[in-house]
Amino acid sequence: MFDFLEKSHHVLGMNARILSYMRPSNSLRAIRIADNKLLSKKILKKNGLPVLQNYAIIKEMQELKNFNWNELPNSFTLKPNRGLGGEGILIVYARRKRPPYPWVKANRKIVTINDLKSHVLNILEGNYSITNLPDIAFFEERIKLLRLFKPYAYRGIPDIRIIVYNSVPIMGELRLPTKDSSGKANLHLGGIGVGIDMGTGVTTTAIHKGKTIERMPDTKLALRGIHIPGWEEILRMAIDAQRITKVGFLGIDIAIDREKGPVILELNTRPGLSIQIANLSPLGDRLKRVKGLKVKTISKGVKIAKDLFGGEIEEELEEISGRKVIGINEQIEVLDINRNKQIIMAKIDTGAYRTTICSILAKELNIDEIINQKKVRGALGVEERPIINFSFYMDKRLVSTEAFMADRSEMKYDIIIGRRDLKRFLVDPAKNVHMRRPRSI
Amino acid sequence: MSPIIQYMINQGVPKETLIFLLMLPIIAIVISFTRQVIGIKGFGIYTPLIITFAFLVTGLKYGLIFFITIILVGTLTRLFIRKFRLLYLPRMAITLTIVSLVVLIIFYFGAYSQKTDLITISIFVILIMITLVEKFLVAQIEKGGRGAILLTSETLILSIICYWIASWSSLQIFILSHPFVTIFLAIIISILLGKWTGLRLTEYFRFRELIKNIEIPKKRRPGKI
Repeated sequence: MFDFLEKSHHVLGMNARILSYMRPSNSLRAIRIADNKLLSKKILKKNGLPVLQNYAIIKEMQELKNFNWNELPNSFTLKPNRGLGGEGILIVYARRKRPPYPWVKANRKIVTINDLKSHVLNILEGNYSITNLPDIAFFEERIKLLRLFKPYAYRGIPDIRIIVYNSVPIMGELRLPTKDSSGKANLHLGGIGVGIDMGTGVTTTAIHKGKTIERMPDTKLALRGIHIPGWEEILRMAIDAQRITKVGFLGIDIAIDREKGPVILELNTRPGLSIQIANLSPLGDRLKRVKGLKVKTISKGVKIAKDLFGGEIEEELEEISGRKVIGINEQIEVLDINRNKQIIMAKIDTGAYRTTICSILAKELNIDEIINQKKVRGALGVEERPIINFSFYMDKRLVSTEAFMADRSEMKYDIIIGRRDLKRFLVDPAKNVHMRRPRSI
Repeated sequence: MSPIIQYMINQGVPKETLIFLLMLPIIAIVISFTRQVIGIKGFGIYTPLIITFAFLVTGLKYGLIFFITIILVGTLTRLFIRKFRLLYLPRMAITLTIVSLVVLIIFYFGAYSQKTDLITISIFVILIMITLVEKFLVAQIEKGGRGAILLTSETLILSIICYWIASWSSLQIFILSHPFVTIFLAIIISILLGKWTGLRLTEYFRFRELIKNIEIPKKRRPGKI
């Protein structure tokens, strides 16, 4: 019990969020920018950051009356300018070809011009706005879903929430829309929150309706290990947006468009705290470590975030097991006859027992002195392969072994590393999944 | 009793007035305590405060009857007239009209069954309760049914607790004998609450799984040195 109380000091609660971070860091001017979607989009766009295109803006009743509905494209998003928590957002995907030419929502329900009118009216009246004051409605380009996210998103667009403080991205969360959240990614509406390792942009733990989960509720897809594309760019964008808008304690929402890449959706001055549960990591601790640092450049901010808040899982694993965590393809340094190092990409293959090196490469390194022969049973029948002495460094560890030499000139990798030489490593298939082309010789 | 209070009572200021005025800071502190330390959201400070005082005037039994009737009728009216797609203020006006009508009917039955304690209730208290309907209906529109029910019941429970505190006779005697101590303490406690950055009680529950998981980084640090 006492332990529980002591640990709880690391968690960021509502009171501390307001008193220690929001009040001192977020000026009224910054809040005014962030709460006004159109204004923040304008400012971000002017500074060269990617935002979604506006199709039309309706400010007053009169404009609503004179609005030409047929000018709207077949797919768009209708949003309130000062909406809170994803409410009041209407998304249509297509338009029917028969009169009265209605649009279609994600749940296949039909949206007529009258429905749109009454929705815009509700927005103008301020029914979705933070302060209930009259609001502005705008039509925005709809994000096209990234193929990678398709299996994880139920009729909506997943987005990435990043909390930025003092020019350092503190914590990230991938938010997935579900059936319960009716296509919206907001957690309190029933979306799934997935924690992100800040170093690699790979997902870790997840929550749904306040409970930790490992897999998607319906499809049972694993939520751990999703590799978010363009992670570095997303981090840079988040820091840049903070520097421009001067929202000191910022929750930024970024979505990834199939064609445009990462796009900033909106800025929040009161980011939700459940991101801590999704990451199973407390915010208070991370914020304290970044407080007071002087971060001069965006690159520095990215580096701090990656070093401080990244790779924790790996480090923990490495410490517990005493083994290094490696990916499916790793850069290794091979040693030639004179012990000179040469960098080469190798494939980690836990299906093979012995390491194999391409005979051309072995010849080049002058290590092709055959010390033994062994029969191998392969797909093509039994074959006798020569064995040579072979040493390399992988993740700063020296491995001296006996490897097969074979003609791999037709293969993608000149070296595959087998089980025999992987005893001091753990293989994580989610790490380094980018397929870099090996150096051709 | 404090001499100043004694003087005012002798001059004809009702005792109730003095108790209400001095009880107000205490109730306000209780409400801010439940928000900052316990974590009950409720409807800000005004709504639970005014409901508490309404209960003090009407008594808990009639107060609850009026409160629940007003919210229920307001909600039903809203659901019924939602179909007509009216603008916000006229829509609210209709709701208030129907609620007044129902309150009128309650008074009719009070008169019919000769419940004098009911029909002599100060109408201003009832009017304040009726106008609160707007707050509850806005919550329904914004938070949806479940959220609104939760918020409304939290507010109601909070008001009942405040009602009990305010009608606690030893506390009433204390504030009448030490009015300035009461106000001084109220300000000090409010400042302390306003600087409170600890977790709210409900947050210990909300973050329980997270807190259980914190162990690992703490153990690691000494090992690294």
